[in-house]
Amino acid sequence: MTGAVFELPTELEIDADIARRVIAEFIRGQLRQAGFERAVLGLSGGIDSALVAFLVAEAIGADRLLCVMLPYRTSSPASRADAEEVVRRLGCSSELVDISAMVDGYYGRDAVPGALGSEGLEAAPLRRGNFMARMRMAVLYDRSVTWGGLVVGTGNKTEALIGYTTLFGDSACAFNPIGDLYKSQVRQLAAAIGVPDAIIAKAPSADLWPGQTDESEAGFSYPELDRLLFWLIDKRRSPEELVGKGFAPGLVAWATRAVAGAEFKRQVPPIAKLGPRTAGVDYLYPRRRPGSSRS
Amino acid sequence: MQPLRIALAQIAPRLGALDENLERHQTLLAEARAGGAGLVVFPELGLTGYLLQDLAAEVAMRLDDPRLGALAAETAGLSAVVSFVEESADHRLFIAAALLEDGQIAHVHRKLFLPTYGLFDERRFFAAGDLLRAIPSRLGPGIGLAVCEDFWHLAVAQVLALDGAQILINVSSSPGRDLAATNEVGLGTATSWRTLMRTYAQLTTSFVVFVNRVGVEESISFWGGSEVIGPDGAAVFSAPFYDDGLYLVDIDLAEIRRSRIGLPLLRDERPELQVRELDRIVAERAGLASDSTADPDAAPGLDVAPPVPAPTSSSGRP
Repeated sequence: MTGAVFELPTELEIDADIARRVIAEFIRGQLRQAGFERAVLGLSGGIDSALVAFLVAEAIGADRLLCVMLPYRTSSPASRADAEEVVRRLGCSSELVDISAMVDGYYGRDAVPGALGSEGLEAAPLRRGNFMARMRMAVLYDRSVTWGGLVVGTGNKTEALIGYTTLFGDSACAFNPIGDLYKSQVRQLAAAIGVPDAIIAKAPSADLWPGQTDESEAGFSYPELDRLLFWLIDKRRSPEELVGKGFAPGLVAWATRAVAGAEFKRQVPPIAKLGPRTAGVDYLYPRRRPGSSRS
Repeated sequence: MQPLRIALAQIAPRLGALDENLERHQTLLAEARAGGAGLVVFPELGLTGYLLQDLAAEVAMRLDDPRLGALAAETAGLSAVVSFVEESADHRLFIAAALLEDGQIAHVHRKLFLPTYGLFDERRFFAAGDLLRAIPSRLGPGIGLAVCEDFWHLAVAQVLALDGAQILINVSSSPGRDLAATNEVGLGTATSWRTLMRTYAQLTTSFVVFVNRVGVEESISFWGGSEVIGPDGAAVFSAPFYDDGLYLVDIDLAEIRRSRIGLPLLRDERPELQVRELDRIVAERAGLASDSTADPDAAPGLDVAPPVPAPTSSSGRP
């Protein structure tokens, strides 16, 4: 293994060749069924979107991929450089859309109120971060039309399970090739497919403020959290059994609560059942079927 | 003896696109015939795709459907196994696999076991079959048909073999999952299936022909890996994972006799013993006989006895 760059718990190691094959077929299949040949994604400079860019390029060719970089004015310049390196290596199309004006136009800036009025000036970082994620989503769906491609999701399994994601923000997509991979597995696959080491090795961050990292904010390490979630979710161990396996009781309690608390983020919103047939309840069709392709 | 050439049609049907899939079947039948095949096997729901949900009723065919007849008509001097949604006269929908031979529908097997757990939801949309029969074939040895999950129930392969099947054919739409690197072949699903098919082939001393589809529907990817296993439990042929293709495999039918003479497991089976014990178990589970493994005080049909309530003092004295 390339253990020097990242830590991969044994039980999480996957067959990278099969994963790449399955994901490539998945990406091609999703596009074909929808009648699209191109894809668009938001490239942050982090490992998740970098890996998805590589996977999409492998599946359909870099010439059919548009990577949109969507920095806010406080976003890390290093992230931008990493994103540009991905674009350079893949040779895919890219665009830069600075979302500062969109976000500042709402919350205001430098004591000048935005659309929200003076209250917006006081908005907390997390709230702003969620809004930024939704602005990025809005841009991606707009570019999806002009580029003629589907929006590809870049969220991983770890963040989806603990709810480290913005509803209708970064979680919004037409399909997601890496949503069943834990962060450690994202790193394994990223190394296998050739994502630059610098991107694999750096600490994951939502980049809500300078120096923020996922692990320092919530107090976990990804390899440990991934292992815990793997045993809890995939291997159906109880929290008591996890503690028995040596996981810290505090982390087990936190993760179990986080997973339960984020259940709503992983599901389609419920519709009040009134009529004889209700979408998602007793009107059940595949998302794509004869007649549903745009071509 | 002339070897039997089997064509494994490891294809990716288009979901809900019956006409398109019929056309692909016809093309591949012709291709297999040109390649000298005597038996062509298509995967589970190869004519319709797998994750149909409410589409099932829209792509269902009765056995008198002219489209099915037209496909059967392509099998002069040929045997083929095709799979589709069958609608019975009383409008139940089945996942069916049919043996087509010499222009006729020789046999229809309705899937017996409908997985409705984990990522599967078949029982919601389909009825389960009630018949398990080996069937004679123009190929010589008897044929036993099964669909995917049918092979995850031990009795199916055994009953087919006892009934005279010497070639067991399983058609599948198996979704690949569990990519743990520790798996023998990098894919948990494949590892399980490969173990199971070798075991069935060896224990029934029969050929096992497994055809699994490829392609993607919604979240799931079908892994292919179609195989032919000999009656000694060793693989004769293993198709690649995930590749769409028509794979030709020659088998020596004389292997069946050699295996069964050398390892007479089928001769030594005790079906009457099984019937006796199964009758007893069914009666016990139905509460019609006392259950030897249940708690002594359990009510008929239950195996756990509720706790006996502690005696309550009725007089009110301390």
